[in-house]
Amino acid sequence: MRRLSGRFRSSLIIGLQGIRARKLRTLLSMVSLFLGVLAVVVVQAGASLAERALLSDLELTSGIDGTRVGDLPPDNKAVDALFRTVRGRSDAVGTLGVSAIIGEPGVRPVNEGGSPFDQDWGPSSVCSPDGNCEPSNGPKGQAVEVRLTALSADIRPFRPFRPRSGRWLDFSTVPAMAPRLVLNEEAAKGFGRYHVPAEMRVGGASANLTPQFVGVVDDGDSQPRAYVRLDELTNWLPTVNLASPGANSELRVYLAPSSPVEKVLAARIKGTGTEIYFSTVESRKDQEKQLALMRLVFLSMAGLVLLIGVAGILNVGLATVGERVEEFALRRAVGTPRSLLAGIVLAETLLTGLLTAAAAIGVSAAALKVVSSLFGGSEPLLRDVQFPWEAGVAGIIAGIVAGILGGFIPALRAAGIPIATVMRA
Amino acid sequence: MTQPLIELAGITKVLKGQEEPRTILGGVDLTVHPGESVAIVGRSGSGKSTLLSVIGLFDRADEGSYLLAGQDISRLPERRAAKLRSSHFGFVFQRFFLLKHLTAAQNVSMALVNGQGWLPRRERRARVLEALDQVGIAHLAKNRPARMSGGEQQRVAIARALVRRPQVLLADEPTGALDTETGTVVIDALLSATTRGCGLILVTHDRDHAARMGRTADLVDGVLTERAYA
Repeated sequence: MRRLSGRFRSSLIIGLQGIRARKLRTLLSMVSLFLGVLAVVVVQAGASLAERALLSDLELTSGIDGTRVGDLPPDNKAVDALFRTVRGRSDAVGTLGVSAIIGEPGVRPVNEGGSPFDQDWGPSSVCSPDGNCEPSNGPKGQAVEVRLTALSADIRPFRPFRPRSGRWLDFSTVPAMAPRLVLNEEAAKGFGRYHVPAEMRVGGASANLTPQFVGVVDDGDSQPRAYVRLDELTNWLPTVNLASPGANSELRVYLAPSSPVEKVLAARIKGTGTEIYFSTVESRKDQEKQLALMRLVFLSMAGLVLLIGVAGILNVGLATVGERVEEFALRRAVGTPRSLLAGIVLAETLLTGLLTAAAAIGVSAAALKVVSSLFGGSEPLLRDVQFPWEAGVAGIIAGIVAGILGGFIPALRAAGIPIATVMRA
Repeated sequence: MTQPLIELAGITKVLKGQEEPRTILGGVDLTVHPGESVAIVGRSGSGKSTLLSVIGLFDRADEGSYLLAGQDISRLPERRAAKLRSSHFGFVFQRFFLLKHLTAAQNVSMALVNGQGWLPRRERRARVLEALDQVGIAHLAKNRPARMSGGEQQRVAIARALVRRPQVLLADEPTGALDTETGTVVIDALLSATTRGCGLILVTHDRDHAARMGRTADLVDGVLTERAYA
């Protein structure tokens, strides 16, 4: 152990002396390697940032991996069975999505069909309970259409919405007569852009409601949405009217992985004469697989660039060993073992690789900071991003691998220099 | 009589790889005791340097036995040979082989930082200064080779050979690149090592320097013949 430590220290000392003695050559090696290591760092940083952004958005929209999701046909019996089963539970949340128009009565919303505000999905249609749909009438005016999702309990354990402003729905209080809504960012953008009267129309409601906006969340959805407590909505919307074929409703349940509700609910729904289809959320796993494949492709390309850098180090290393034949022969003459000679050359190329890695990581981190400060305001993906540690590790590994690959052959050559070289000189 | 440091018996070295194998050393016998100095003289190509290579474990004899302090080292693996070169031998060559980017002290220290045991920095520095002091150039410790004369550079090389306190000094024409006066200073430095019990084997063309050694041996056609000067 002590002998190894001595050799390690010796190779480091002599390697550093070699680097100091050939600064320009070391710099040129670093330049040749820099792009390769930078490519690895950038690919890894980009992949990590993209992965974080995509996967976190994925959880917002699809749910946390492992969550059991059940989709039900939106008929009244199923609605009733669902909400009776999940009432008061925190391991199961029933959701009912309906269309709602907030604003001036008798006009068509500015975003017909609940389209995002910078898109136009064309005129929406009004459907009668028997399923016949006709284009909606009336002038386009001061109204905004949202998808209104009524929740039986807090959905955030299954879909971790990011709070943006205000507060989330409080399920522990008595339901308010004026339904409290939490908007998603797209809906909030619409209400920021269009100032509309606080009057909400929901198909089948006994009266137009006066909603209260209590908060804004990021739910990862590009369509304007609002979330409301189911019991606050049912104050005005009889349960029999909650779901009807013409109401364009969505009925869904989110369950914790081991929730006993699943079996009970399945039995009850079957009793109503319909079926419930359960699936387990594995979107993160699937997405990770795809991202890993993409990362592998890009890293392979970066690896090719790195190989060019390795060839540069190798070239410089061979030239350096050729120039230092007498030095290495002399070192052998004074008792330096072959392994240490190889170690000296490897230490030099490794240190060069590590210095290059440090430079590439520094440049990438600084560039990310600049890009974040310049474009973070307009591009949420770049807002407050931190340099991912995975990219730093990848850069260091790339530097070490390049150092070893580039130094291996020169190291072998240095170890093979005959001592007699000094006798013949 | 003390145990000999070096005992060579029947050392043979044949240069192969040519049309006709050529015998460089044809059964050399040589014994060197601690503190003894031996000069080996001979014409160019007579095998002096090859003999020194065999003694210094740079090369291996084809036949014959080699005892170092009583131990047979005729057939040593390279790893052990490197260890022995570090612990028992000091080498001085015609060219000084100083690394120009290092100071005199760092050049001497090179023999201590060779992977054969580790000395703390303070001890290393003390040993280096002691070796430089032995050859009278401790004041040049921080100078680089470019700022030193040929004689000073060769004395740095001798200090490098002495710093590991070797038992045998092997010098291959150490005055070959120096003028007579400087050569004399270098031989003085080498001989001073023998007063501390170190054996010295000097390969030289210079009869005057050879005459200052305790014994002189002629190498002619691969055969070593000892003679005494009057």
